[in-house]
Amino acid sequence: MKRYLILEDGTVFPGEGFGSSIITTGQLVISNNRTGIEQSVTDPDTEGQILAFTIPSVGNSGINRDFYESINSQCKGVVIGSSSLSTVDGSVSFENWITGLKIPGIKNVDVRALAKHIAEHGEMKASIMDTHDEHAMDQIKALVLPPDLVKRVSTRQSYPNPNMGLKIVIVDLGLKYSILRQLSYRDCNSIIVNYNSTAEEIESLHPDGIIYSNGPGNPEDLPRTIKTIQVLQKNYPILGIGLGNLLIALANDCQIIRLKEPHHESSLAVKEVASGKIDFVNHNHSYTLDEKYIGGSDFIVTNVCVADGTIEGIRHEYLPIMCVLFEPEAAPGPTDGYYVFDEFIDLVESVKKQEGARNQWN
Amino acid sequence: MAKEIIDGQTMTRALTRITYEIIERNKGIDDLVLVGIKTRGVFVAHRIESRLKQLENISIPVAELDITPYRDDHEATDLTTVKAEPLDIDINNKHVILTDDVLYTGRTIRAAMDALMSVGRPKKISLAVLVDRGHRELPIRADFVGKNIPTSQKEKIKVSMKEIDGEDKIEIE
Repeated sequence: MKRYLILEDGTVFPGEGFGSSIITTGQLVISNNRTGIEQSVTDPDTEGQILAFTIPSVGNSGINRDFYESINSQCKGVVIGSSSLSTVDGSVSFENWITGLKIPGIKNVDVRALAKHIAEHGEMKASIMDTHDEHAMDQIKALVLPPDLVKRVSTRQSYPNPNMGLKIVIVDLGLKYSILRQLSYRDCNSIIVNYNSTAEEIESLHPDGIIYSNGPGNPEDLPRTIKTIQVLQKNYPILGIGLGNLLIALANDCQIIRLKEPHHESSLAVKEVASGKIDFVNHNHSYTLDEKYIGGSDFIVTNVCVADGTIEGIRHEYLPIMCVLFEPEAAPGPTDGYYVFDEFIDLVESVKKQEGARNQWN
Repeated sequence: MAKEIIDGQTMTRALTRITYEIIERNKGIDDLVLVGIKTRGVFVAHRIESRLKQLENISIPVAELDITPYRDDHEATDLTTVKAEPLDIDINNKHVILTDDVLYTGRTIRAAMDALMSVGRPKKISLAVLVDRGHRELPIRADFVGKNIPTSQKEKIKVSMKEIDGEDKIEIE
């Protein structure tokens, strides 16, 4: 069935439809992931997004159905060049898998021309439709993207991920399961809470440390969460990942900027400033921190992207707050970033030890 | 038989964490001075210095300290006759961070403090070590520890560093 990818500026890319046949609209995001498509598609970060994969043929290494980052949310559409029929366990190919998830897709699209177009004109809204007449154009132009993306993906009710170790409260802004996998691996006794939980609610759980997770959308749409961070950061070690990092920066009077060339790639080099170590990690963000404000703040830059110098990680000079903008839990991508979780556990433990010493003397 | 318990990557990470902790607890690193105890403590000091420089863009002085004359297991230990080898930096009114690879009985650190005191009057002395293996014989503790490794006294901890041993690792035997 012939379908069309229509961009906000009126550009039309014809292609062939697969997956669900519904009409879909969303923010078009160019992803340079080569593998781990399963994880990208099910990543809550992609809520409200239409993902366009620049790899010429998707699914060549099959679909691994054990790779998923959420069970409830997924992107709003996929755009691909072509796909392969290969499977991992003889069960499902890329297109059948997308059909099963009820996601609309469009193939035989010139994804490289599309990527070039977006690189030149910036990220924009898009729609996958059956026609490309004037009515369709008007619709896409009139479309207002919803500002409540985090509300849609955040858990409504708190739930535990029990274990015997440190108690970590995770504020779910669009949590990827791989963060929980990493915490489980480190024996953390985690509790996952809604993004709008108040400081008192979180304090009542008596956490050893708090994680602000990754998530979709613009952090400036979450003023309540920012206020909560301002209260909690005085008393608890905090790790911010992705959107969490941006919120923590905003809570400390730093500013954020939209990247001209957004980072959506599963393997981009990041340098650890202190040691000069290079890690290849998964990136999925359109915003970054404004260098001018970081310089005047109490934060130091701990990680930078090698390719364009973007700030990828910060740390507070005297409060136990550490942040990374990339995704240390990988999924998809190389696992170089796992050390961030070790570092956070170290941070939590050292704060605990100091507190213990203080209690002993007071 | 020697068994590797810490690899190069973990050692690098431990040094980076010590650096973050030094920044965190000092609110400004302007009056800091690093003094490394020969031999591997000096490399630890240099590595921390280079990290601080990368992060804060401030170069802080590093000195090497030879504590051999101050050790208490030598025969001629009349400390009044020991002639201190002058440090090539001023430590008066500075916050000195002593660095060493392994903290064990604490006797090395005591000797180092004697050596420091004989050349100046620091505002404060802190201690950063890569490994704390326990079994102290003196009331000394480290402010910054890379890794706590519980050991028995029969065991040996061997720290290798790239600068002198060709690779970064910590072994136990």
